[in-house]
Amino acid sequence: MRGGNIEGKVREEIDRGWLGPDRGCAYYPCHFEGQDCTFCYCPFYPCNDPELGEVLRSRRGGEIWNCTYCLFIHRTEVCRYVMSEIERMGIADPDDPRLAAILPRAKERFFRKGKALMVLGATSDAGKSVTVAAICRILHDRGFLVAPFKSQNMSLDSRVAPDGAEIAMIQVLQAQAAGLRNPDRHMNPILLKPRGDTVSQVIVEGEPFGEYDVRRYYEEFVPVHGEGIVRRNLEFLKERYDFVIMEGAGSPAEINIYDSDIANMKAARIADADCLLVVNTEWGGSFAYAVGTVGLIPAEDRRRIKGIVLNNVRGGTDGLREGAAELERLTGIPVIGIIPHADVRLPSEDSGSFRDAGGCAEDGEGRTVVAVVRFPRISHFSDCDPLAADGAAIRYVDRPEDLDGCDAVVIPGSQDPFGDLEWMRSTGIADRLAGLRGSVPVLGICGGYQMMGRSLVDRREQPDGGPKTAAGLGFFDCTTVWDDRERVVRQVRGDLPGVGPVSGYEVHAGRTETEEPPLFRLEFFSGSEPEGSKREEEMLFGTYLHGCLDKPAFRGYLMSFIADGRPPAGPVSGRDHAERVEEGIAALAAVFEAGFDLDRLLGILGAGE
Amino acid sequence: MRILFLGTASGAGKTTLAAMYCRHLARTGVDAVPFKASNLSTRSHRTADGGEIGIGQLIQARAAGAEPAADMNPVLLRPRGGGVVETVVRGVPADGPVGREALGDIVAAAYDRLAAAHEAVVCEGSGSPAELNLIDRDLANVGLLRMRPMPAVLVGDIERGGVFAAVYGTWLLMPADVRPLLKGFVINRFRGDPSILGDGIERIEELTGMPCLGVMPFTEVALPEEDSCRDAPDGTATDTAWTEELDRLLDAAAANGFDPGRIDAIARG
Repeated sequence: MRGGNIEGKVREEIDRGWLGPDRGCAYYPCHFEGQDCTFCYCPFYPCNDPELGEVLRSRRGGEIWNCTYCLFIHRTEVCRYVMSEIERMGIADPDDPRLAAILPRAKERFFRKGKALMVLGATSDAGKSVTVAAICRILHDRGFLVAPFKSQNMSLDSRVAPDGAEIAMIQVLQAQAAGLRNPDRHMNPILLKPRGDTVSQVIVEGEPFGEYDVRRYYEEFVPVHGEGIVRRNLEFLKERYDFVIMEGAGSPAEINIYDSDIANMKAARIADADCLLVVNTEWGGSFAYAVGTVGLIPAEDRRRIKGIVLNNVRGGTDGLREGAAELERLTGIPVIGIIPHADVRLPSEDSGSFRDAGGCAEDGEGRTVVAVVRFPRISHFSDCDPLAADGAAIRYVDRPEDLDGCDAVVIPGSQDPFGDLEWMRSTGIADRLAGLRGSVPVLGICGGYQMMGRSLVDRREQPDGGPKTAAGLGFFDCTTVWDDRERVVRQVRGDLPGVGPVSGYEVHAGRTETEEPPLFRLEFFSGSEPEGSKREEEMLFGTYLHGCLDKPAFRGYLMSFIADGRPPAGPVSGRDHAERVEEGIAALAAVFEAGFDLDRLLGILGAGE
Repeated sequence: MRILFLGTASGAGKTTLAAMYCRHLARTGVDAVPFKASNLSTRSHRTADGGEIGIGQLIQARAAGAEPAADMNPVLLRPRGGGVVETVVRGVPADGPVGREALGDIVAAAYDRLAAAHEAVVCEGSGSPAELNLIDRDLANVGLLRMRPMPAVLVGDIERGGVFAAVYGTWLLMPADVRPLLKGFVINRFRGDPSILGDGIERIEELTGMPCLGVMPFTEVALPEEDSCRDAPDGTATDTAWTEELDRLLDAAAANGFDPGRIDAIARG
């Protein structure tokens, strides 16, 4: 049953008539850019339609209808139809029994399962992620509801979605490209976070599931759980979106694991998706990669590949046209895009940039050099992107001498704080940091913050019995403890007192008790709480907040210490990094839109005019 | 003995593998020299005989125990910025573009001199040999094989993924007259337990008829790259350091079951 309050709201909506997108509303868009706000409160709640929502059991044992993920009632055509029916039948009362009967008719007219398209890559770093983001934006610009999807993503850069789920950063970015406000657990149902050379923590639908090595993952997890997870989440998204743009993983032609690979052709089969094959032309050999990939995929799956995209073309696309025509002739698959190299700054999927650039990777050209300790298990490495966008040079260091001459140090997150702390000692970086203490600002984020304390204690069950302990760098008088409490996974907002707002997200199992003054104050329903540690006189800062540099306040605060050794005199304003990301997405989509044969792309999608 | 190492892409590991093979030949007492018909590189080395060769050929020459010479890299293409590429022929910058046939003659003559004077010539291709838009203009890969037919080995990099597709696709795209010269393939930069690759390798062997000559383990290679951002080829690494590094790579490969003797047999064939 719905309460009287909702009934009053629905009555107001009926009185007001069709509204369209309410861009003046403080909460717009609460679901997606362009949403219809006629029914802020659904007139059909609770519809009890399993295609639109689900029954949840509340903690007290009651049942509650949950339609958090339903977008049907925010589609313009649905709102126009429902309102026209209400007017035609002269319904004025939310309790009018004829109202509920409008929903099945609206569904019959407008409820369609979405179509899936899979973007495959001939290699890792082929440009799958950006291609998915660009297609999401191209379709969003044409008024479609689009969801990104990657069944299985191996990445140490995750985000916390509004539904509290931990999913890969890149699916969040793609959701933003699709104009969606609420990326969710269904968009990346399996996240693999590597812990050692062969072991990964497996996150399923946003929650920790277990730890698997490569062999057990393919022999035990995939056959028992994998396919079901992929199927139910794809179904879920297809019921809510016009298009699901899926991203493959690595190459689909790894014939040694073909039958257990749930990230590529098997997912395409489950989704009944057509596929595009993206090839990065930067390294050469792209025609061979394309021909070989198509050739190695069995015929029953090969027929799904409807187009080839030659990506990241430098120095003019004309030189490739002759080869592209030959490629079409050899494979029987049209080349539907020749995409120039896009000089666009967007967070990148994995540590590929470190791999390519070697130890001296320096990102950005500014004179302010921010050294980021490059842990073997570094996580959330896009945390420092906003500093690079401000013009700082980000230098990823794995040798103590690379810290020389830097203006600030960031000790980033780590998937293995104990192991990476040990690594930092064995490389000599820890000693060099101790020497730098007090002369340049040092910021620890999450795992890096934990390492800046006096000690780290893991009280959970250890292979050798007793607790695992390690001495930290001793920069802060704080201790981090891991025990049986649930991990903290949440989006947070608050402020840096006197300077401005901050926001971010936390993903950590350990809890830190500190004797230091807090860095931030966070706001929760229950009130405000201190967060982090600081010693301004020594320019030491520690926080659990990933993304803390996205808003201008903390960035300006840190830059003030870099420039003058003291905090800013007052509030700091500047650009929100999210705006820059939005500009990057728009620029990326423009490059792809120009490089695609759009008629062919939209034709494959069935989205043609 | 002569052999050509071809790569499925730039950075597949041709240069290092050719250097390892040069070192192997030197260790077994074979008088070997490196050769790369044409090389697009910003980093080069002056030879005593007035030539200018790429850093890769310098390393390979030292690995072979040979004096670096102009003939080892007769054509050097040097990017001058703004899309302009300067052609350097045996150390002398050409006034303007040089015709394809003339370049072919220069390459063939340089190769012939090396082959006449030495027991083994270890050749390295350039980029991928399967660029559909370039195959007929390509000098260092298909061009060399057509002028001077010799056995070739294909190197694929597994780190980026798609290595089976890369090897199979490159083989498929080789012109019919050249394809029989491909005598085997090597999978480079593999992390983990090679037994997981078993089925895939067998399938590529069946499809192409080429044997897999080895799976090279991933190791950080402490050799200067032809176009790397660490700026330190001269001085920081001595000949001895390079040689020791190649010895280490050969030992690591041997531990993974790589037998350079199989390449000897191909190079003699």
